[in-house]
Amino acid sequence: MALKQVQTTCPYCGAGCQIMFTVDADANKIVEAVPADGRTNAGTLCLKGHYGWDYLNDPQILTKRLRKPMIRKGGKKSPLEEVSWEEAISYVAAKLTEIKEKFGPDSIMGTGSARGAGNEANYLMQKFMRACIGTNNVDHCARI
Amino acid sequence: MNYFVKGNPDLCIGCRTCMIGCVVAHEGKHIFEIDPDSYTFNPKLHMVKTAKLSVPVQCKHCENPACMAVCPVGAISRKGNAVVIDTDKCMGCKSCMDACPFGAINMVPVAGSSQADGSEKVVANKCDLCSGIPSGPACVRVCPTAALTLVTEEELDSAMEKKRQEAARTAYREMYPQK
Amino acid sequence: MSMGIPEIEDAGCLLCFGYNGADSHPIVARRIVRGRQKGMKIICADPRVTETARISDIHLQLKGGSNLALVNAMANVIWTEGLADTQFIEEHTKGYDEFLKVIEKYTPEYAEPITHIPAEEIRKAARMYATTKPAMILYGMGVCQFTQAVDVVKGLANLALMTGNFGGPSMGIGPVRGQNNVQGACDMGALPNSYPGYQNVTDPAVREKFEKAWGVPLSDKVGCPITHVPHRVLHEEDESKRIHAYYIFGEDPAQSDPDLAEVREALDKCDFVVMQDIYMNKTGLYADVILPATAWGENEGVYTCADRGFQRFRKLIEPEGDLKPDWQIIAEISTAMGYPMNYKNTEEIWDELIDLCPSFKGATYEKIEKYGCVQWPCRDKSLEDKGTPYLHKNGVFATADHKALFYGTDWHPPLELENDQYPMTLSTVREVGHYSVRTMTGNCRTLRNLEDEPGWVQMNTEDCRRMGFVKGELVKILSKRGYCITRCLPTDRVKPGATYMTYQWWIGACNELTTAKLDPISNTPEYKYCACRVEKIEDQEWAERHVMELYDDIRAQMGIDTGKGAKA
Repeated sequence: MALKQVQTTCPYCGAGCQIMFTVDADANKIVEAVPADGRTNAGTLCLKGHYGWDYLNDPQILTKRLRKPMIRKGGKKSPLEEVSWEEAISYVAAKLTEIKEKFGPDSIMGTGSARGAGNEANYLMQKFMRACIGTNNVDHCARI
Repeated sequence: MNYFVKGNPDLCIGCRTCMIGCVVAHEGKHIFEIDPDSYTFNPKLHMVKTAKLSVPVQCKHCENPACMAVCPVGAISRKGNAVVIDTDKCMGCKSCMDACPFGAINMVPVAGSSQADGSEKVVANKCDLCSGIPSGPACVRVCPTAALTLVTEEELDSAMEKKRQEAARTAYREMYPQK
Repeated sequence: MSMGIPEIEDAGCLLCFGYNGADSHPIVARRIVRGRQKGMKIICADPRVTETARISDIHLQLKGGSNLALVNAMANVIWTEGLADTQFIEEHTKGYDEFLKVIEKYTPEYAEPITHIPAEEIRKAARMYATTKPAMILYGMGVCQFTQAVDVVKGLANLALMTGNFGGPSMGIGPVRGQNNVQGACDMGALPNSYPGYQNVTDPAVREKFEKAWGVPLSDKVGCPITHVPHRVLHEEDESKRIHAYYIFGEDPAQSDPDLAEVREALDKCDFVVMQDIYMNKTGLYADVILPATAWGENEGVYTCADRGFQRFRKLIEPEGDLKPDWQIIAEISTAMGYPMNYKNTEEIWDELIDLCPSFKGATYEKIEKYGCVQWPCRDKSLEDKGTPYLHKNGVFATADHKALFYGTDWHPPLELENDQYPMTLSTVREVGHYSVRTMTGNCRTLRNLEDEPGWVQMNTEDCRRMGFVKGELVKILSKRGYCITRCLPTDRVKPGATYMTYQWWIGACNELTTAKLDPISNTPEYKYCACRVEKIEDQEWAERHVMELYDDIRAQMGIDTGKGAKA
């Protein structure tokens, strides 16, 4: 069993706590989480920091983890069908291009994400909306 | 003398990290990998919130435990510095619950157990000071605001010594207010 | 936040306004508790007895929706009693005289019937805040989620300016941002009016800089705020402005947004909805395309915490399934649409963006790695620039003339008041063990076992006694927009006539009830105030069964095999 220690930032509230994880690399799973000595948390964690990581192993409790790109090929209310990434990407690109050409860039809205995705993904999302789509229609849930 | 865990309402923020810490300590780390309905979530301490207070309440590990005195099957005993329940012996008669003046005992189902009629076994549940767990009481360890402390005989002695000294000083000041 | 989180415990006085750290940020609440132990004075303005209110010197238990009347009255006392820092006001601010004209009428006696706080209590609080240095203000959603929100934020800033509480450690004013990277999403320009680094889209010089960097002409029009989307889908007449496509990334508007019935209709009517997420959620039921992304723990990058701290998050395990990191999905769509984005890793993206943002320029991966955390502004790449723990040092503000502006406005009541049909009020609050719409924490075993559907409605004990409700009983709660079923939690911590619910439950979904009315500047909905009523459910056995069935139904929609039945 190859155990490794990885320090990371808690994915929950804005306090920015540091957590030290013990990971079993062979089994590809987390073994333990303990508080690390971060600037804001100083070796303490709340219940979410201590016990909020086991969703990663897809426990099938509340909702299913998404594992494959999916498209509703028969329109709204039709079932979702699993597709390849190539198909999903080109489908989204074609639909957005079509809508942009027909109604203009301001008919498309995009969101950033205040959650797990991180700053780099948010930067790219707003760059995509502004530079590729051509609109400032981008926002996120800070308002809600 | 028995030890006990003491909660400080000036520090407690009512977050209940202690309650999950308690379950994890007693069930073991495998609970992060199993069906959450296949084990019972039975914290051995209880968060109490009134208009003025937030603090977890748990067993005081009394020196003359009322629960132990009333147990008809001898399921409650002293072990090390704690008062513990032998859940195999417990028949769920609730006498201990009734006797405990702190409300520290509750009755809980034992996951996976079954009785003659197929129903789950129900037993008394209370703080055991994480007896047998080397890192000590989990609630104390995980509390983010250090609101819980394990009170040992030595700490009680030194706290009493401090109080006596304070009492002596007060008595002196009362007698000689000018000095 | 103008200050750093660790500084909180060293403040002389804390004014905690509409902020319940114990439920939203326990590790920030820890600093408040520690401050208290060190002798910090605490004034807590909150309609509920929060954990902070419990340990406060003065608890201003105001009527919900009266924030600005209280803040203006505190300013009035500071002014009339000569407690203002005139030197600071003269040297570092503008607009004080105009501000005084607005607050002149807000005597504590004027505010008393609005706030339900005795005038003398307001005086005591204002004196304590003005005379205990350094004084810090923390605020939360109890300020922001009203139709009068920005005015209150400015009102709190006025208090700090009047008393010279800017420019040093353990002072200033701090909005404690809720989600792990809500600060970061703002920093990165996921905002309709600003590019990354708070650079305005309407500023021609800024726009030119980004046009040059990105190689395309950019729009000079401020974009659509997220809370306008339902209206822009359903009621916009101009086809070029109507939202026809909605690319939703890491959000669940069908659970988190106000007036869910309207949100569902908008998602249903919107021509093309793309959802990019880690778990199936309510919004997924309306998505035309679902793009599966790697989750926290399976990818890496930088988050910004509430006090402007950039910190790395790292990969713990390898993702299973056909997943891609969010940034890669976006880059591939962009490339397919003819605007190529080629990045090898997150560091390449980071290097591009910090060079476009003067306030972030110095915060390289190397530096964040070395120091663990770098608080912006950090303008220089040399290792000597370690970032900025607190803002406005020596009273120098980020305006053209470096002066701060007083800004006074009149109080107005919330928009939907109690009435005969809906005689109580509802405010949304947080459940400490669950995060956001709970697709993460609801899938964590112990957190789910601690609190699960259908959640609780907190009500005053006396109200419960009058209506015949006991703890744990299922009740129906309704507004004119919708209803849901939840459990009753009688408590002396809330005032008569007020109710509080947390927003992450599917069955106890309080956003079925909330109003989509917005603050005119921030576009934040009035989650903290709408009219409601609570009804008894006579057949409790039916209600328990009904809740269980609903839970199983929704979980089945979310792709879960519910053969065993849910805990309810």
